[in-house]
Amino acid sequence: MPRFLADLPRRFFLVVMLAGSALITVTSLAYFDFETLPPFVIEKLPVRFESLWLASLRVHVAAASLVFPLCLLLMTRGIQRRPAWHRWIGRLTGFFVLFALVPSGIVLAFDAKGGKVVSAGFLLSAAIVAGCMVHGIWAARRRDFVSHRRAMRHVVGQMSVAVTSRALMLALDAGGVDPDVAYVVALWGPVLFSAAIAELVSLRSVFATPDPIRSVERIYRENSLLAVLVRARSFVRPVARLGR
Amino acid sequence: MDWTQRRVEDGLVKPLAQSEDSRFSRMRPPPRERRVRVLQSTLSRDKNGRAFVGFAIDVRFGSEWRRDDIVGCVYRESGDIFVKKGDAYRPAAFLLGKNVEPVAGVCQAAAARS
Repeated sequence: MPRFLADLPRRFFLVVMLAGSALITVTSLAYFDFETLPPFVIEKLPVRFESLWLASLRVHVAAASLVFPLCLLLMTRGIQRRPAWHRWIGRLTGFFVLFALVPSGIVLAFDAKGGKVVSAGFLLSAAIVAGCMVHGIWAARRRDFVSHRRAMRHVVGQMSVAVTSRALMLALDAGGVDPDVAYVVALWGPVLFSAAIAELVSLRSVFATPDPIRSVERIYRENSLLAVLVRARSFVRPVARLGR
Repeated sequence: MDWTQRRVEDGLVKPLAQSEDSRFSRMRPPPRERRVRVLQSTLSRDKNGRAFVGFAIDVRFGSEWRRDDIVGCVYRESGDIFVKKGDAYRPAAFLLGKNVEPVAGVCQAAAARS
């Protein structure tokens, strides 16, 4: 298959997500008009800690408007071919994700409409983003780019929930589904689906490797918790050599 | 009580419908339909002696109606509308995006004097 066609799903994903991110940013500008209350805030109030909740909402929206497009940029081949750019944009993105997006998202999760089921969904998504971001940064520093790519696919996957969840809510509303049910489905569906897709894409890229020894090594590195501490190569290569 | 119904429809239901659109947002989608129910056939008076009537607005998203989506009261003389949010009543302009504080004592009938 020509490389352009093979790359088409990835490009389509990046373009759709970039458009979705821009649309969310535009509709979120109302959160920074301090004179009026946007509909989402009216719907939520009153909350237990109103000032903290409102500040977290604004930090979350601002951080997401910045880091989601940056994550998409980091996924492009153009930036990946420029390691210095990739490193610095990655550091900036990682900083805002870990110190603005995730903490503010956790605060918002506890007051999410839909109760504990929805809170759990948002907290799971936050845990995946934070955990994979830390793991991905660590992997990049060890120059383990296979693990780095896998971790960052999960980060981008969970960020894409912002777009897919809203699109699904619109679709379910058009289908006449009760908005409370739609809200739960439109959160948990994309969270789990994105995690599954990130794993599948990572596995596919492992099996696409022509060298079987390297494939096994990659699987070890990607799936074993021990791989964080011990490089899989030191296990796989000696065993492979025994058979010669 | 036709007056109450008309006042709530003109002062709240229609402006709400005009301000709502299906956005790419996590907010609840606008309902397909709203209906006003007047909750009492006689006027109540608050502690300041002002007469008001309670109302509720039901909404429909699919085929079923959801009762009491908005609860509030309308004052007979001024035509002011208040809506309940949490435990407090705020001017209806709150639902249209104005950052207005709760008003103490409104929509609460004073205890009958012996």
